[in-house]
Amino acid sequence: MIRKYAALIRMSWSISMAYRAEQVVWVLTSLLSVIMMLVWLSISRGGPVNGFTSGDFVAYYMVGLVVRQLTGVWTSYEMGNEIREGTLSPQLLRPIHPVHRHVAANLAEKAMRMTLLVPLVSLVFILTPDARLVLTPWSIGAFALSVAGAWAISFLADYAIAILAFWTTQAAALAQVLYSLRIVFTGIIAPLQMFPAAMQAALNWLPFRYMLAFSSEILLGQTGGDRLWFGLLVQWAWVAFFFVAVRILWRLGARSYSAVGA
Amino acid sequence: MRYLRLLGIFMRAGILVELEYRANFAVRVLLSLSWTAVTLIGTTVLFTQTGDIGGWTYYEALVIAGLFTAMGGIIQALLQPNVQKIIEMVRLGTLDFLLTKPVNSQFMASLRHSQIYSVTDVLSGAAIVVFSLSRLGYAPDTGSLAAFIVMFVMALLIVYSIWIAMATLSFWFVQVGNLTELFSAVYDTARFPVSTFQGLLRVFLTLVAPIAFITTFPAQAILGKLDGGILPLAVGMGVTTFVASAWFWRYAVRTYSSASS
Repeated sequence: MIRKYAALIRMSWSISMAYRAEQVVWVLTSLLSVIMMLVWLSISRGGPVNGFTSGDFVAYYMVGLVVRQLTGVWTSYEMGNEIREGTLSPQLLRPIHPVHRHVAANLAEKAMRMTLLVPLVSLVFILTPDARLVLTPWSIGAFALSVAGAWAISFLADYAIAILAFWTTQAAALAQVLYSLRIVFTGIIAPLQMFPAAMQAALNWLPFRYMLAFSSEILLGQTGGDRLWFGLLVQWAWVAFFFVAVRILWRLGARSYSAVGA
Repeated sequence: MRYLRLLGIFMRAGILVELEYRANFAVRVLLSLSWTAVTLIGTTVLFTQTGDIGGWTYYEALVIAGLFTAMGGIIQALLQPNVQKIIEMVRLGTLDFLLTKPVNSQFMASLRHSQIYSVTDVLSGAAIVVFSLSRLGYAPDTGSLAAFIVMFVMALLIVYSIWIAMATLSFWFVQVGNLTELFSAVYDTARFPVSTFQGLLRVFLTLVAPIAFITTFPAQAILGKLDGGILPLAVGMGVTTFVASAWFWRYAVRTYSSASS
């Protein structure tokens, strides 16, 4: 299995190397996070906003930028096309489930984007001494675990939508709805602490927080102890939920697949 | 006159195509509304923490959010589908068929297609503006209304020219699709007053990427707060960019040698 993955990732890496200009644009699409950071900075010039200093906003959004690129998914878009055009059919005949090819492509892209993003973000941290992170082995470990969980939720939720393309031609629109929800509720438009208390309480139980904001909060030292454990627990419960959902949907979907245009 | 009639025919064809896919139409309308909600929430959450951003109060900033939504709708409805088509036609060489038609090629290429469901954004944007003005208890007088109309038309010209220039670049470069992504990313700044941003960035957004002319200045005009000097500046900017982009298009068409030949 590991050998198969190594081969798949190598293949995807070469594909993304060939379209390097495209990668730059993907980083550019993170510009909304940067814009929101600047807007919050303009507000926090008069003093801390709800406990966030200017440095906190920089740290929050910079970590968020990395997490967002690490957890970005676009499989529903690709698979929608593959299902519609029938190019999924040969994939189904191979001795390896198509999901592994999608995962590998996703991971290779990640590696590619990090080579651009990590130096950039490090530079911002060097230039902004006020932007402090809590870096202990403990927080870094929890952060890594939370990013893995965030990626799993994002990928599985997107894959569930991708599978819906077996039945409906509107799967892409559904993916867009999910995307708009993500912009608001995962903490891109604002750190979730800026929302009303009732909404925060609800977001603690919904999957959105665990797709982005939760990871940033860990590195900023804003969530620890019991609240950290609670968060990780809810996060991985959602991972399990989406994993089961995807398995069931795939089984139903592959059965009704009729290979359009093939 | 002939051009107006053609425009009418283009629009009708566009609407007929959309109406063939009604489920798609309904979903797209819902999608537009969800993006409008994102814009509204984005502005509102800021004002739960502060009384003003960049000197703008909540309802004043909502006027900007409304204009942002409306202009985004116009881009989606008219510019984006055509620019996408132009890029594709240049790549495939089918632009030849368009160039041989007895109409102005830029007119035909840039207004042939439309995505009528994006009008939802224009309507909800207008509704947000009207709602915010009424909450401010403010009715624009004739002067500010006239200034607003001029500013808005100039904003349209500027946006149109930028998109046509991007499409024209596809005569030389293949990856122009990325450029429109970049535009959308920069356009996201238009949902907030330009005074929110500091220093060089503000200068950049005013003069280099004229985002300020697209939402902030028209909003100031309708609120009766426009600086005297901005109006002629906007007219100069709108006309210059339009003339420049038209010249650029003609130049590109002259040097065009078609694909695969």
